[in-house]
Amino acid sequence: MSHPQDWTLRQQSEALRHGELNARELLDMTIARINERDSTINSTPVVFNKESYDQLNQAPAGPLHGVPITVKDMFALPWRAARNGTTADLIPAGASGPYRNLRDAGAVVVGIANQHELGIGTTGTQSGYGRMGNPWNPERCAGGSSGGSASAVSARLVAGSLASDSGGSTRLPAAYCGVVGLKLTYGSVPYDGYFGAATTFSAPGIITRDGSDARMLAAALLQRPLPAQSGSGLRVGLIRDPFWDDVDPEVAAAGEMALRATGWHVSEVQVKHLELAGAAFLSRLIAEAGMPTNELLATLSVPTRALLLAGMLAPARFIPRADRVRGAIRDSLAKSFHTVDFLCWPTSPAPAPPLDDPHVVIPSGRAQADLPNVRQTRLANLTGTPAISIPVGLHSSKLPMGLHFIGPWGGEARLIDAAEHLERVTDREFVNLTPPIAR
Amino acid sequence: MSEFEVWATATFRQSKIDVNPSDLSLIELIYTAAIRQLEALDRIDLEKFPAVGLDLRHAPKPS
Repeated sequence: MSHPQDWTLRQQSEALRHGELNARELLDMTIARINERDSTINSTPVVFNKESYDQLNQAPAGPLHGVPITVKDMFALPWRAARNGTTADLIPAGASGPYRNLRDAGAVVVGIANQHELGIGTTGTQSGYGRMGNPWNPERCAGGSSGGSASAVSARLVAGSLASDSGGSTRLPAAYCGVVGLKLTYGSVPYDGYFGAATTFSAPGIITRDGSDARMLAAALLQRPLPAQSGSGLRVGLIRDPFWDDVDPEVAAAGEMALRATGWHVSEVQVKHLELAGAAFLSRLIAEAGMPTNELLATLSVPTRALLLAGMLAPARFIPRADRVRGAIRDSLAKSFHTVDFLCWPTSPAPAPPLDDPHVVIPSGRAQADLPNVRQTRLANLTGTPAISIPVGLHSSKLPMGLHFIGPWGGEARLIDAAEHLERVTDREFVNLTPPIAR
Repeated sequence: MSEFEVWATATFRQSKIDVNPSDLSLIELIYTAAIRQLEALDRIDLEKFPAVGLDLRHAPKPS
């Protein structure tokens, strides 16, 4: 028998339900695999050797009964405070809203997923637990901020992880690690006990290996069915500049090849005022980053601390203007969904950069990876819409690449239909790619 | 100390925020770059960007 963490989340769930797999043995094997495999990628720095068994003993007979998952450090758990990638307890222990939904579906939290410090970064190079490595090459970034979630799923430590997304933090690490990352519609689950509660950008997200698993985990999190429909015949909108034009040519080519395989109707669309999206996003982001205590500031890495402090100095006059721009962009995006089912472009503009030098080279020049990364993903956070990243193959650097779909509010099921269609027409070639650490 | 560093130090002191002097040059770099980007918002025509409620959970009501 192969190791059950080499199976998908749905396969684990079905095997448990049919008595072909014992939940306690699955948990034993999952913890053993994390201990054996995580040292080079540091995806799961905290393992619940006792609490996970306690949860299993009390797990209800839901669709995820006995399935081990990890949870990003942004969500409070009944036995552990949320630290948000720092060394300090920032939200007291308690059952956060997203945790409750997954618990009620029967999932078992086996560990904490590492993340970029305070969620302010897309590389995973800063964390109170130490930086995260990419399963495809541990010297490369796992991404951020939900880097530990994506690297654990990619490395087959767990089949699913609860992540979050304030500017691409679920989708970007999913693209870097070759897995599926789904950002939910803003406010679609209870936000208590979750850092996103203090922002207008953040939404919980999930990381899985394929679309079918995303459907299962997202349905549990949203507590509503996400019925599958045919993903053929969908209408896709492209915005070339900058989302397709200013990316690594191999990344654009992989995305275009995947799109051609789908047979979808592709057209170019326009969303107005995108030239102001960066300013509108930045204005709110730095205002919402929070007011840390001096004790916390002293523990943070220099880049994170400097970002927070610089943000505190920014004048408030920009915020109402940013919100007006945001309203106009939302209006224009909503109109675009009258003619297309979703928008599409590459998730990250280049594959994962080195941990020691997190810069990328794209047609517009060499840049710190965060800037072009967030440019590709922030539209969904500005507008509150759901979005998904799905793998579309390997770059010549032997690192994964991702394609990104943004759908209308509440349209998670359609995005997953699209992901599953792409998997089907490519014979699961991309979702079945396995990183060296998991072979 | 630069003019920025004097101002930033005084502002943080007023807010009772401890700042490591060695962080100030990086703070200035980030702040300057951020303000340069944010100033695009000063130039928008408010007539073309009306204030609207932002219910991020749902699509905006048709305008």
